[in-house]
Amino acid sequence: MASGVQADEDCVKAFNDLKLQRQYKYIVYALSPDNKSIVVSEKVQQDSSKPNREFYDEFVAKLPTDEPRYGIFDFEFEKEDGSGKRNRIVFVNWAPDTSGIKKKMVYSSSKDALRRGLVGVQVDVQATDPDEASYENVLEKCDRLR
Amino acid sequence: MVNYGGDEVSALVLDIGTSSIRAGYAGDDAPKAIIPTSFGYTEDVNEEADVSMTDANKESEGTAGDASVGANAPSSSKKVKLYIGQHGPSLFRPNMQVGNPISNGLVEDFAPIPALVRNVLEDNLRCNPAEHPILVTEQAWNTADRRERMAEIMFEEFQAPAFYIANTGVLNAFAAGKGTALVIDIGHSEASVTPVVDGFVLRKGLAHSSLPQFVRAHAKHMLSTPTQSRQAIQLLPHQLIANKRPVADTVQPIFTLREDRVAAVTPTWRQWYEDHEVDEWIMSVAAVVDQGWNEQLVAQRPQRPYEFPTGYNQWFGVERFMVGEQYFTHAPGLVQSNPNIPKTIPNLIAQSLSASDPDLRAVLLSNIVLCGGGSLLAGLGDRLHNELARNFPHMKIHAPGNPTERRYGGWLGGSILASLGTFHQLWISREEWQAYYIPFSLYFRNMDGLS
Repeated sequence: MASGVQADEDCVKAFNDLKLQRQYKYIVYALSPDNKSIVVSEKVQQDSSKPNREFYDEFVAKLPTDEPRYGIFDFEFEKEDGSGKRNRIVFVNWAPDTSGIKKKMVYSSSKDALRRGLVGVQVDVQATDPDEASYENVLEKCDRLR
Repeated sequence: MVNYGGDEVSALVLDIGTSSIRAGYAGDDAPKAIIPTSFGYTEDVNEEADVSMTDANKESEGTAGDASVGANAPSSSKKVKLYIGQHGPSLFRPNMQVGNPISNGLVEDFAPIPALVRNVLEDNLRCNPAEHPILVTEQAWNTADRRERMAEIMFEEFQAPAFYIANTGVLNAFAAGKGTALVIDIGHSEASVTPVVDGFVLRKGLAHSSLPQFVRAHAKHMLSTPTQSRQAIQLLPHQLIANKRPVADTVQPIFTLREDRVAAVTPTWRQWYEDHEVDEWIMSVAAVVDQGWNEQLVAQRPQRPYEFPTGYNQWFGVERFMVGEQYFTHAPGLVQSNPNIPKTIPNLIAQSLSASDPDLRAVLLSNIVLCGGGSLLAGLGDRLHNELARNFPHMKIHAPGNPTERRYGGWLGGSILASLGTFHQLWISREEWQAYYIPFSLYFRNMDGLS
């Protein structure tokens, strides 16, 4: 079941730029004010001199406390077994408990329209509070992947 | 595709449950019209009495005259008079029977449905159903032929311009902001556990049982069985009591019955009022202990007073917790003697998880959504949390604190969904329905995998 909301063309384009060109480090998506489509609300340029953690904290800070969002993050980390650096593309479905029920409903029923177009996401995170979206939690999820 | 005036679809949302039917406009925060699903009916000998009850009487003979109505179908040759709404089954009428079209969460008898829907939409909401698209909710275990019948009623009987049927499990998950969730819904007659993944129900993981009915039966048995400290409690409704005198607690009540009425009580109405009295008692005093059953600890918990319509009153201690305990554990002897006993909530969850993909279990457990009016029983949420935390350290329960959201989550989810401008492309329009009437059942069967 879906809401019928469509994802803007730019959404997939920005994602592909992140995935293929490594142009962006993360993207935040939001619903347009008229609730008709999903649009890119923010995309941040990749910068290899900046540590992954710093980017991530910045990314989480961009998720509002009282409104849902979708996010894509190019997560870079060292494998715990010491086998080297890895990159995982993480999709975050951010729906804080403090958000209004209508917003939550629109976002969760529209998620599929966006997520379907983003081919190549490796980790899905469904977060309702900062704890579930925390760096440690996401790192653990990425590390668990082979 | 018809355009329903852009964004302003002003759709109606209809949620039919065992205890009540909720209806209202999409976009509202709560259903505007709520009527009991149970209705009264008399097999009419003649037009007599009761004409003053205009509201309840709106639905009169004819609406269901052609077919069997109610659980104990009256014979079709007689004229049947229905009493629907707030003044339906709860008002005393000589020889009135009570019926309820819902059984185990599904519509079992479609004959009274048009009359019920007409009452809630036309008499309570005061709108013309022919002017609004209508979204109806369904349980995850609804069947294709019932879905088809519901569409038929909406299109043919009410001339609805468009129709959609949505799953309550998915709606509750969405309303909690989750596309993936394990939805635990405790209703008036059914308790269910529904795994929802990306907005779709995982059918094989669906588990439900008639646990709330069992709990009610247990409470009824307990109250009407004498104990060392008290006699059996008479479950008589205020409608049958002429007067009563205040008495001390656990003392034999002093009251006078309305003998004129007692003679005209039907078995179905008796069943209805006894269940009603038990429900009132459960809602007022029953609770669940948060940390498993422990006779000594339970005995120390505060007692609560309750007065029955007969005037009998008592402070309930252990008994009020015994009832809530039935949601979580059954006495071992009872299970052995009765293998078909409805599954407890932990059993339902276990059944649902073991049928779900192992990869999904962790995600489902960290996204549990607790909803349904029955989940408002004091202490139930805490107990569920404790039971699950013991086995699954990473689980997380989302239970709306607002009772309206909890009780009417399915309606609310439908309300939000149907109010979205973009949702209009998903409606099944009247034209489409007429054009595809023959393959219609196939269409809906395909939705099984999708809804």
